[in-house]
Order: sequence, then C-alpha cells, then structure tokens
Amino acid sequence: MKNEKLRDLSFFLFPMVFMVVLFYLIPLVLTVYISFTGMRNWNVDKYLHQVVGLYNYERLIHMFKYDPTFKAVILTTIVFVLITLIINVFGGLGLALGTFFMSEKPASAFRLLWLLPRMSPIAVYSLVWYYFFHGSSIGTLNSVLMKLGVINQPIPWGQIVPWGAWSVIIFVNGLVGVSFGMIVFTSALNQIPKELVIAARVDGASAWEISRRILLPLMKWHFLYVLTWQFLSLLTTYPHLFLLVEWDLVDRDYGTTLALYVFNTAFGRGEQDQGLAAAAAVILSILGIIGGFVTLKVLQFEKMIKKPRGDL
Amino acid sequence: MKDVETRPKKYEGVLILAIFLATLPLIIGFSLLIISSFSKDMVTNFDFKSFHLTIENWINVFRGKLAITGGVKVNMAKIVLNTLIVALGVSGLVTLVSVMSGYALSRMDFRGRKWVIVSLMLLHAFPGVALIVGVYLLYRISFPQGQDWVRVYSFIYVIFARAALEVPMSVWLMKGFFDTIPWEFEWSGIIDGASRITVWRKIMLPLIKPGILAVALFSFLAGWQDIIYVRTFLIDQTLATFIEANIEAEYTHMPLIAAAGTLYLLPTIIFFLTAQQILLRGYSGGIKG
Repeated sequence: MKNEKLRDLSFFLFPMVFMVVLFYLIPLVLTVYISFTGMRNWNVDKYLHQVVGLYNYERLIHMFKYDPTFKAVILTTIVFVLITLIINVFGGLGLALGTFFMSEKPASAFRLLWLLPRMSPIAVYSLVWYYFFHGSSIGTLNSVLMKLGVINQPIPWGQIVPWGAWSVIIFVNGLVGVSFGMIVFTSALNQIPKELVIAARVDGASAWEISRRILLPLMKWHFLYVLTWQFLSLLTTYPHLFLLVEWDLVDRDYGTTLALYVFNTAFGRGEQDQGLAAAAAVILSILGIIGGFVTLKVLQFEKMIKKPRGDL
Repeated sequence: MKDVETRPKKYEGVLILAIFLATLPLIIGFSLLIISSFSKDMVTNFDFKSFHLTIENWINVFRGKLAITGGVKVNMAKIVLNTLIVALGVSGLVTLVSVMSGYALSRMDFRGRKWVIVSLMLLHAFPGVALIVGVYLLYRISFPQGQDWVRVYSFIYVIFARAALEVPMSVWLMKGFFDTIPWEFEWSGIIDGASRITVWRKIMLPLIKPGILAVALFSFLAGWQDIIYVRTFLIDQTLATFIEANIEAEYTHMPLIAAAGTLYLLPTIIFFLTAQQILLRGYSGGIKG
C-alpha cells in the first residue's frame, strides 16, 4: 500500500519537480557561480573556470558610488517600483469599486478592457505606446496637445530626464499591473455578503460611505496581498521596459531598472558582461526571496492550505 | 451586485464617464494601430487626411514584402508558424504538468505537501525571468553538437524554459479547480478498485475540463506573447522578434508593421470575444484556495 502511494505520488509530481529543478534551482546555482567568474561575451570555454572571487560585487559597489549611469539605474528602480506600485494598487482598487457600483454590463465591459494590456503581446502593446508617446509630430499625445494649442512644438517625452522617461515607463507598466489589483479586489468584493451593502443603502448611506466603512475594512487582506505581490513583480520584471528602451522611446539610463540592467548587461548590444550581470541578478534574487518570505509570513498563506480529506 | 432597487442611479453616469476617460488612452492607442494597418500612411497623429483605405499592407504582410520599394522579403508564414509552435508547445506542456501536480497537491496527503505548496507560491512571487543568465548558461552547456539539431533544440529549449515560468501559477490554479470537486466522486472510484492514476484520468479529468481550458488558454497567450525568452534562445524569428527588429529599420513601411502587429493581436481579440468568462475568472484563479 505504501509503495503504491509512493509510486502514484512520484508519477504525478515528477513533471513539476523536473521543471522546477531544471529551470529554477540549477539556474539559480549557475547564476551564483557565474557571478564569481569573469564571464564575458558568453565565452564559456575561456571563462567558465576562471573564478575571480568577489570582484564583480566590488565592481557593483564601486559603480554605485562613482558611475552616474549606474546611479541613474538604481534611482530609476526605486522611483519606478514605488510609484508604479501605488498606481497599481489604488488604480486597481478604484476600478474594482467603480465597477462595483455600476450596472453589470458596463462593469464587465470595463473589466475586460483593462485586461487588454495584460493579454496583448508585449511587442504590440509596446508598439501602441511607441506611437502614443513618440517624440515627433506623429506621436498621438503630441498631436492632440498641438491641436488643442497647449504646445507649439512636439515634445520628446521619453527623453526628458528624469521625469519624462519615468512618467512613460510608469504609465506603460502601470496599466499592465492595474488589472491584477482590479481582479483581486473585484473577487474580494463579490465575497462580501450583499446584505451588508443593501442594508446600508436602505439606511441611506452613499457609495463613498459604504466603501469607506464597510467594503474597505473587509478587504484588508487583499490589499496587503496585492501590495506585496505587485512589489515583487515590479522588482523583477522588465519585458515591457526592454522594448521602450531598445526603440529609444525613453532615455537609456533613466528608463532602465535593475532587472532590465541585468538583461541588457548579459545579452544587450556591444560588450556583454555576464559576470557583472549575474552579480546584479543575485542581489535581485536575494531581495525577491526575502520579499517572498515576508509576504508569506505576513499574509499567513499557510493557514489557507487545507488538508485533503484523505485516502480511503 | 444585483440590488437594483437600492442602487442610486444618479451617480452611475458620472462613474461610467470617469472610468471611460481613464480608459481612453488605451482605446485610442489600440484603435489607431488597427486603423493604421488599413491605411496607406500611419494615422497615429489623428491626421485622417492621410488615411486612405487599403488592404495592401495586409497583402504585403502575408507576402512578407517589408518595403514598398526594393526587395526586402521575409517568409511571414514561417514566422507565424514559429510563434504558433512556441505558443502551442508552452500551452501543452504547462497544461500537462499542472493537471498532474495540481491533482496530487489537491487530493493526496504526504509529508512536505505544505512545503511544496508554499514554495510554489514563492516561485511565483519570484519570477524565473530574473534567472535568465543561469538559464542561458544551461542552454549553452547542453547545446547539441550536430548543426541540424541546433534549431530544433532551440525550439524545445525555449518551450520548456518559457513553460517553467508559467508552471507555479498554473499548478496553483489547477489545484483550485480540483479542490472544488466533491470527494465522493473519487471515493466511489477507489472503492471500485481503481488506482489513483485511473481515477485521475477517467473521473477527475472530465470533471475539470473548464479548468484545463483556462490553463491551456492562459499558457497559450503567455507563449504567444513572449519576447524575452524567444529573443534570447530561439534561433528562428517569431512575430515578437520580427516587430522588435523592424521598428527602427530604415526600409520598413510602418503601416505594414501595424498590420503585422494587428495580426499578432488576433488571438487576443478572438479570446476576448469568445472566452470572456474564462478570462475574467481565470485571472482571479489561484488567488484564494
């Protein structure tokens, strides 16, 4: 009986364990290892066994102190993560509450529309904003403002450092993240007993009062969940930024976060420096892992995991 | 909320208008791109005088004729096919893996079960995309020797590596679907002497078809839209890398890129129109057990 269970378990879990070991654990070990080598230009034969100790980490610290480009990257990471996070959480909350107080039809239409950024291919989504924020008169935003007579000359939005570039990358990524908050908060709102809302309405409470006194206090857990989850995502994702920077829509230094810096240093144009990239990736990973553990502890996910009702 | 009688109607118009205004850039951006794909020139600056209706861009996209003059040509059918191979591969692999481990995590008790579930959450919170340097080194080390196999191998590797990113979330989602099925179905099967594997295959799988569909759909979109992994690992071009490479090329006719972009957007639009319920539900899945 015991053997049979073991056989079944390994059958069911093997594919997942295989994927996780091959594409998370081994790469993590390899990344840590590369960060101690002088790997450049993917010259694996030459550099794989050339261990340089903590040299790459020392370089990172040195760059952090003296290199204005790298300082811009760190500053961009901080500003980008914090402001986008606020937009994601409160935008999602606003959309969820807004659609909650609406008739079903426009509500689901809006919810679906806001999924568009998440669902559309990254290349198409970036293409849309490439034209929207384009620095010449073909740019949608420029042409609208010029037609309204607000500006006379097209403005190269993404090239104004730092705030122009920051605004563009925050806007583009903010729209993607909002849908996550919206979905979580909407499902939270749907779980709240409707009697509470109806009773308050009958007593003459306004939408604002209902939100503030009934709905929001009941959504505390979800609020924390979206906050921490989006924080971790924003720290480590970069595909949307990658194209905006590559197409020169935004300034190279003030449009690059640490995660994108890792990618461009390892795979970008010109000289590639995988040792340095790996060191930066290790630092990002440590932040991510700490953040993940804090999230799990704070939100007490473990308590949500129920035991199966068992075998016969 | 269906409490129509108690809903104050007077603010609804204001609310709809406000959210509509917030949505406006999104609507404008996507519409202008799609309109431009049917025009001789880009109309992103609202200059509709330069709009001349034509389907030339679409014909040229399918022919792979990149520029109006000159002979720059690509094999577009091949590019679409490559994109499709990656998307279907990712979708198939993710669905298979998650349908198997989702069942085990939902229905079987074993030592370390809690630990596995918690680590899955951690992996999801910590996207593998941050590990791409290590993933690439593994790719280089495991490269096959024969020239013929390199391209096939790059497809296989990109599918596996990209699928791995979706696995934690999908397993979690699938576990949620299995959780909703009453235990009695399973017990009756086991009492009749069937093994867990038989029960899973014959009883459970038919019951969670909606879940399988949702996971397959999401992972399809994930594979379809990917640019980073495809760009880094795949030797052949997909729609993503095609658009990436051509946006700044001197010879490119931009409305043609708009047409290629709209073509790339098609699965999204199709799912939008046909699978709305799955999309709204699926994205919320995995959030609460």
